Amino acid sequence: MTQPNTTELARHRRERMMMWLQLTPVLLVLSVLFGGALILAVMQSLGFAPWFGVNTFPDFSYFGALWGSWSFWQSLGLTLYYAIVSTVIALVMGIFLALAMVRMFPCKTLYKYLYKLPLMIPYTVGIALAVIMLGNGGMISRLSAFFGFIGDPSEFPQILKTHYGWGVIAVYVWKQTPFVTLTIYAVLLGVGRETEEAASILGASKRQIFFQVTMPQILPGIVSSTLIIFAFNIGAFEAPFILGGGFPDTLPVVAWRYFNDADYTLQLQGMATVVSIALIASIILYSYLAFYRRYERRIGRN
Amino acid sequence: MTKVQLKGVRKDFGAFTAISQIDLDINSGELVALLGPSGCGKTTTLRMIAGLEVPTYGHILFDDDDVSEVPVQDRQVGMVFQRYALFPHMTVEKNVMFGLKVRGTPKAEIEERLEEILDVVQLQQFRHRFPAQLSGGQMQRVAIARTLITKPSVLMMDEPLANLDTKLRGEMRRFIRELQQRLGITTIFVTHDQIEAMELADRVAVIFDGKLAQYDAPDALYQRPNSVEIADFMGANNIFAAQISASGLATAAFGTLQLDRDIVTVREGAGRILLRSEAIDLLLEEPDGENVIEGTVEGREFFGATVNYTVTCGGEIITVNEQSRRLVEVGQKVWLRIEPRHIWAIRDDA
Ligand SMILES: Nc1ncnc2c1ncn2[C@@H]1O[C@H](COP(=O)(O)OP(=O)(O)OP(=O)(O)O)[C@@H](O)[C@H]1O
Ligand SMILES: [Mg+2]
Repeated sequence: MTQPNTTELARHRRERMMMWLQLTPVLLVLSVLFGGALILAVMQSLGFAPWFGVNTFPDFSYFGALWGSWSFWQSLGLTLYYAIVSTVIALVMGIFLALAMVRMFPCKTLYKYLYKLPLMIPYTVGIALAVIMLGNGGMISRLSAFFGFIGDPSEFPQILKTHYGWGVIAVYVWKQTPFVTLTIYAVLLGVGRETEEAASILGASKRQIFFQVTMPQILPGIVSSTLIIFAFNIGAFEAPFILGGGFPDTLPVVAWRYFNDADYTLQLQGMATVVSIALIASIILYSYLAFYRRYERRIGRN
Repeated sequence: MTKVQLKGVRKDFGAFTAISQIDLDINSGELVALLGPSGCGKTTTLRMIAGLEVPTYGHILFDDDDVSEVPVQDRQVGMVFQRYALFPHMTVEKNVMFGLKVRGTPKAEIEERLEEILDVVQLQQFRHRFPAQLSGGQMQRVAIARTLITKPSVLMMDEPLANLDTKLRGEMRRFIRELQQRLGITTIFVTHDQIEAMELADRVAVIFDGKLAQYDAPDALYQRPNSVEIADFMGANNIFAAQISASGLATAAFGTLQLDRDIVTVREGAGRILLRSEAIDLLLEEPDGENVIEGTVEGREFFGATVNYTVTCGGEIITVNEQSRRLVEVGQKVWLRIEPRHIWAIRDDA
């Protein structure tokens, strides 16, 4: 081995300098806007808010009050329930749709545009649609009354504004299934059909092919898409605010109520709620990722 | 074990016709090579036999039974894919065991067959690796092992030896041939290497542009091709226009040659004659007798064991191939002699 000569070394150094220069704007934005805000939020939730005339830093009483109340845990349960159920439903439907899309069928091109539509429509529109369609006095209840399934639109079973959260889940699923489909479809295209064909020739049933051949190969798509939608669902505000069942609210709605309270010192309580959401979400997502990484390593990818 | 028949099979992909018409009978236990240039429809034919593709017209029969309704899983076929199609998330071992596992073979038997097949394909030391950590040739051997371990009754291989080096390719050829004969597996083998096809196959099916051009034993295909295209594809280099007479005389630019009328069914008219370059004697003195052509050595290509001479004779160039026990100088005046039974003729309207 000969040493690289000095001009080579200098060139390498210059290249590294350039790389850092290019990264700087992104790093700045990330560290100031995101990191700074995060630190401020954590400090505020620990009692640092001189602009409200409150400075008891470090003070864990806000977290204490929050975590000590039963309603916090109810809210957390509700938040996780909406997030998990809608993520799972969107995932299952997304996988089915993506699998269907790699096969040939008539009108496929039209369908490929149609299914992406919810991606382009804002959440609020989706929520409005849910109210129009699923609410009491909504389209479906009126149609059911019209066709005589029920006597009066008001007899229609309550779908929205219950703690089952069917309205919330419906909106999440409606909006996120296309996203999951899109992600997994892209992965499936890369994977190709050949391994499935090979498996079928080797005698595997449809089920065995899916679970032993297809699924492990689309796992990266499954993990990344569910990670994103779960993170969104756990922090989303509008849908549970409008379509949720009232007290106990989901955590983001709870935080919002604190922030909006006339007593502005409750803002610190709100911050503690927000920080709790962030904490819980990161723990869940991190464990999920760690679990997945372990699997990846076990099957020899790194 | 299984006789495979294709009856009037055609395959369209939308408006594109990949296979226009193929009739093929493959006897039980026979090894057939599908030979043809790239894009002629070899893979498509295999895929139809495996059940991955449904013929647009025609039938595929296994032991005289139409298998159109038999799903891929139940056809008892094996297929080695052109691009291997290994499971990237499984080790070599798991890839190889897959077929037995999904069929619920007892664990002890799986273990036993795994060891046996890993020995055969010499992959013991790579058994815990993943496909991404293997070379092309190693992946190919995994693909072969994965298929063979299931003991299919019809084995299909799509260019299974394309990525192996000469030595390993020879070993794998012998291995496939030996195993195929021992187990009597009906084997269909795709290649675009005519040497490989002739060495391995009982019969060779030549496919051009989605049509079966000729289906014959290797020697027949080599010595008596149906058309100039096949002759060309089989590596013939001495094809000359000639006028053929009813008495079996072929007159070309370099002279007149007598044909063997037992071999060539002579019909009068314009045609081509085919002189196998290894069947031509290169003489330094003028011999007596018929079928002698006079010429001059134009060029020499030395391949080690054999040597090729290009000889100009009456405006045409004839290639002569002989063992390199001697070397004839370029510019030497020579006489070429070829026996009537080594000349093949194809009529232009054939
Ligand atoms: N799914 C498909 N849709 C459309 N055309 C196809 C499809 N599969 C194959 N073809 C076309 O059919 C023809 C035959 O393809 P095939 O794969 O059978 O060729 P091949 O003989 O195996 O060639 P090679 O030696 O290059 O592998 C090609 O022209 C190919 O483009
Ligand atoms: Mg092919």
